[in-house]
Amino acid sequence: MLNGLARTIAIVVAAGTQLSILASCAVHAGDVAAIVAPDLGVEEASSTTAIVAVRRITESQYRAAIADVFGSDIAVNAKFEPETRADSLLAIGGDTASISANGFTSYFAAARSIANQAVSKRGLGLSANCTPSPAVAKMSADGCVRQVLQQTGSKLFRRPMTALAVDQRVRIASEIGAQTGSVSSGLEAGLVSILTAPEFLFRIEKAERVDGSNVWTLDPYSRASRISFLLWDAPPDQALMNAAATRTLMTEDGLQAQVDRLMASPRIEQGVRAFFSDYLQLDLFDGLIKDPAQYPKFSVSVATAAKEQTLKVVVNEVMRGGDFRDLFTTRNSFINRSLAAIYQVPYASPNGDEWVPYTFDAADGQSGLLTQVTFNALFSHPARSSPTKRGVAINDIFLCQTVPQPPADVDLSGLTNAANPGKTVRDRLVFHRSEPMCTGCHTLTDPAGLALEQFDGIGQRRFTENGVRIDVSAEFFGIKLSGATGLGETLRNDARVPACLMNRLFTYDTGRAISPQERKLTPAMTKQFTDDGFDFVRAMARVAAQPSTYIVPASLAPESSGNAT
Amino acid sequence: MRDKLNRRTVLRGILGGLSVGVALPTLDCFLDGNGKAYADGAKLPVRFGTFFWGLGLTPSRWVPKKAGADYDLQPETACLGDLKRKVSVLSGFRVNADGRSNIVHWTGHGGILTGQAPSTDRAFDLPSFDVAVADALGSGTRFQAIQLTPYGNERLTYSTRTGKSFNTPDTTPLALYTRLFGDGFQDPNSGSWKPDPSVLVNKSVLSAIGDERRALLASVGASDRVQLDQYFTSVRALEQQLEVQLRAPARMESCVLPASPGEQLKSGRMDVVNKNNKMMADLMAMALACNQTKVFNVVHSGSTSEAYLPGDTSTYHLHTHDEAVDPQLGYQPISAQLAALAFQGYADFIRALDGVREGDGTLLDNSLVMGFSESGYAKVHSIDNIPMFFAGSAGGKHRTGQHIAGNGDPVTRVSLTAQQLVGVLVGEFGTGSMKTSRTLSELMV
Repeated sequence: MLNGLARTIAIVVAAGTQLSILASCAVHAGDVAAIVAPDLGVEEASSTTAIVAVRRITESQYRAAIADVFGSDIAVNAKFEPETRADSLLAIGGDTASISANGFTSYFAAARSIANQAVSKRGLGLSANCTPSPAVAKMSADGCVRQVLQQTGSKLFRRPMTALAVDQRVRIASEIGAQTGSVSSGLEAGLVSILTAPEFLFRIEKAERVDGSNVWTLDPYSRASRISFLLWDAPPDQALMNAAATRTLMTEDGLQAQVDRLMASPRIEQGVRAFFSDYLQLDLFDGLIKDPAQYPKFSVSVATAAKEQTLKVVVNEVMRGGDFRDLFTTRNSFINRSLAAIYQVPYASPNGDEWVPYTFDAADGQSGLLTQVTFNALFSHPARSSPTKRGVAINDIFLCQTVPQPPADVDLSGLTNAANPGKTVRDRLVFHRSEPMCTGCHTLTDPAGLALEQFDGIGQRRFTENGVRIDVSAEFFGIKLSGATGLGETLRNDARVPACLMNRLFTYDTGRAISPQERKLTPAMTKQFTDDGFDFVRAMARVAAQPSTYIVPASLAPESSGNAT
Repeated sequence: MRDKLNRRTVLRGILGGLSVGVALPTLDCFLDGNGKAYADGAKLPVRFGTFFWGLGLTPSRWVPKKAGADYDLQPETACLGDLKRKVSVLSGFRVNADGRSNIVHWTGHGGILTGQAPSTDRAFDLPSFDVAVADALGSGTRFQAIQLTPYGNERLTYSTRTGKSFNTPDTTPLALYTRLFGDGFQDPNSGSWKPDPSVLVNKSVLSAIGDERRALLASVGASDRVQLDQYFTSVRALEQQLEVQLRAPARMESCVLPASPGEQLKSGRMDVVNKNNKMMADLMAMALACNQTKVFNVVHSGSTSEAYLPGDTSTYHLHTHDEAVDPQLGYQPISAQLAALAFQGYADFIRALDGVREGDGTLLDNSLVMGFSESGYAKVHSIDNIPMFFAGSAGGKHRTGQHIAGNGDPVTRVSLTAQQLVGVLVGEFGTGSMKTSRTLSELMV
C-alpha cells in the first residue's frame, strides 16, 4: 500500500510521467499532499490477497456512487436490470448476479451520459486540484490527466487503481483525444471506461491471510466498502478510504471509530431504507400489475407513494432508538393525496400532494406494515387478495420460515370436480385444505393471510366479500387471534421475528447465506438486539464494528477455492 | 449505393486513418435461381426463436389424433389454420427429474432449455440452449439475441448463460422498437451510409476492459468466474454490436423501417398481452428481415401465469388449480379458453414472420421457432406430454407439417433436434436419463 511520497514518486517515475505532472499542473504544497493522498495511490500486487466474493452493485449503490464522486446534480438516466433474490434477499442474489448484454448496454449508455455531464459541469479537472492542459497532443504525458483518472477511478473502484488500470485509461483518453481533437472527449472516454469496468460494477471483495494462521479476513478496502454500503448504502468516503490505506480498519478500535463516525451521519437513514427495501421485498413493485377494472384507484403514483409510505414509517419507527417490533402494530403513518383515497381517510393538506403525518383511529383496523398498501398489494393477485401469498410472505419475511413447494403431480380431481359452495376466499381455502396433500402447507400459510382479509388486493378496507361478512379469525401457530391487529400483536411478541431479522441483517451485510461456522453469531446478535430494546440501527452498527463479521468462512477461503494469488 | 458500390469495396481512412469495412450487399441478382441461396452458394440466414407460454395446454384439446403428415388440428391449436403445413406438433415428450423434485412450474421448461431438471427454483444448473444457438448464429448481426415479453414484467426471461443471471427482456413494444430501430439502427437500404465516429470511440473505450479480463479471471474462484465470464461476454456482445455498426449494412430486400408503436397499455389481461405480443411480433419480424439479429426468445406469459380474462377476478394459474372439470365437456372450460388464447400468441408470432417475403418464400421459411410450455397438464403440475411445436422450415432443413408422438421420450430429443436444424454443431444434449443423441430424424431433411 502507499505510505509516503517516495513510493508515489517512484510509481510516477515508473510510469514515465513525473516531468509532465510538474509541467502541466500547477503543483503547490497542497497539490503534493493531494497527489500522495492514499486514494490516489496505485495498488500493489500482493502475494497474500485473494478475491473471495463478487457482488453486483445495486441500483441505489450505483446512484450513490455517482452522486458522491461527480455531484448530486448529475442525472443517472439508466434502466437497471432487475436484481435477483436468493435466500429471501437481493443482497444474496447479487452474489451470483452478473450483467447481461442488455444490462451492459444500459450501463454503457449511462456511463456516456454521466461522463459527459461530469466534464461539462465540473470541468476537465473534476475534483482534482489540477487542470489538464488543453493541448490534445500532450494528453498521454499530462500528469494531471493521469491524476484525474486515477483519483476518480480509485473512488469508483473503492480501492487504489492498479498501475495497469491507470495506464489503460490514460491511453484511451489520449487516443480518443487525438482522434476527436478534443481533450474533454478524451477524458470522457477514459471515464466511461472506468464507469463500465468490473471493478466499479461489482463489489470485488478481497481477503488477506491473518499472520501465522489459515484464517482469511477481508482486506481494509473490502472492509471499508462493507461498512459504507451497510450503513449508508454508498461507497466509502475519503475518511474511510484513508482508514483503509493506513490499515486502521484492521484493528477493533479502528473499526469502531469509523462505524461511530458513520452512525453519527444523517446518511444512516439511507442505509436503513436500503435494508428494509430488500427485507420487505419492495422491488416487487417493479413488475406489479393490478386490474384497473377491479381496482380503478390503483396507479403508478399510488404504487410509488405506497413504497415511500412504507419506508417513511420504517424510518420513523426504527431510527432514534425506536423498537423495531412497533412496525407490526403502529397506527402512526404518513399519507399523501393518492394514498388518502385508498385508505379512505381525510387528507389534511389541501395544497399540493406533499406527505403529512397521519395517525389512524383504532377503528380503522390498521396495524403497521401488515395493513399498508405495500404489503397487501404486493402479495395479492392482480384482481383479488390472496391469503396464501400473504401467508407465505409473512412466514418467509418475518419468520425466516420457508414454505415448501406445492406438491407436484398431486391429483386434485376429486376436489375440484366437486362443487365449491363458498363465496369468500376463506370458503375456497377451507375447501382446498380438505385435500390431505394440501393441508400441511396451507395450514402454515393461510391463517396469517386470512387475518388480513379485511384488506383487499390493494389494501382497501372492506368488511364483506360477495355480500358475505368476512371472518378474520385465525389460529396462528397455536395462538388464536382476530384480524390484522391481532396478527400484528402476535408477530410483535413472537421471538422468532427478531431472530429472523438478525439473520437477514447478517446475510444482507455479507451477501451470502450463513456458513456453519457463523451459526453461533446470529443468536448472540439476537440477544444483543433484545438487550438493546430492539434498536435496529444499533444492531447495524454492531455488525459493522464486529471483526468476526469480516472473517472468511473456511468453505470460501482461498485454499478451498484455489484462487489465492 | 447500388450503383456506386463495387461489391468488394472496402472503405479505408474515413476516420483519421482508422479502417471501416463495408459488408457485401444482398442484392436480388446475387440470389440463385430459386431464391434460397446466394449465387455463390451461401444460404440465406437461418434464424432461431423460442416462444414460451405458461401453463401448457389442455391434454385432450391439442394432441392430434393422427401421427405423421397432414395431422388434424385440435380446438386449442385451431388458430394455426393454414399455417399448419409450416408447423410440426411434438406431443408425448416428458422431463425426467432424475431423482430431483418436480419443482412446480419450473422443472418443465428448465428441463427443455438446459437438458436437466433444475435443483432449485428461480435458477437453472446449466445454461439454456438458446445461448449456444446465439453463439453459433449471432455473429455478423447487431444483436446476438433479443429477449422480449409482451407481459410487461422484466423478470419474465428464461434465457441464461450462467443459470443464475438471466438475459433481461424488453417488456413493451416501444422499448423493443427503441432497442431495434432507435439510436444505432442503420437502414440497410438507405443508400447513404456513413460511419458514425462515436461508434469508433465507444469501441476504443471498451478495449481496456478486454485487456483486464485475463488478470481478473485468473484471480477468482469458480463461482465468481462464472459471474465475471458472463460480464465479459456481455462486453463482447456490445463490441460485436459496434463492429457491425462500423460496416455498411448489406442490403436486405424485405427490410422496411417500421413506425414507432408508441406507448401501449401494460396489463396482465390476456387480450392486452396478445395485442402487445402481435405488435412485438411485427417488430421482431422486421428486425430479422433487417438483419439486426438472428435469434430471439419470447416469454408470452410466465410459468405461473397471472393473465386473466376481462372482468374475471381470478387468474389463469388459479383457474388451473381451482376450476372444476366440467363433467359434460370433460375439461376445465375457463382454463381451456385461456390456454387457447395463450397459444394464439404463438400463432400470431409465427404468422408475423410468415407475412414477410424473403427470397421465394417467407421469413418463417428461413426460421425455426420452437414453441413450448412448462406443464403437460397444469392442474396437476404434470411434466409429461409438455406441448412443443416447431414452426418454419429452418431454411429447408425442417420437414414441416408433421405430428411426432414422443411416447414418453425425453424433451431433450426435441431440444437437440432444434439445435441441429439451425446448424449448431452439437451431437448430444442433456444429462442423466435425459442425455440423448437421438434427434427427431423424421423432421430432418
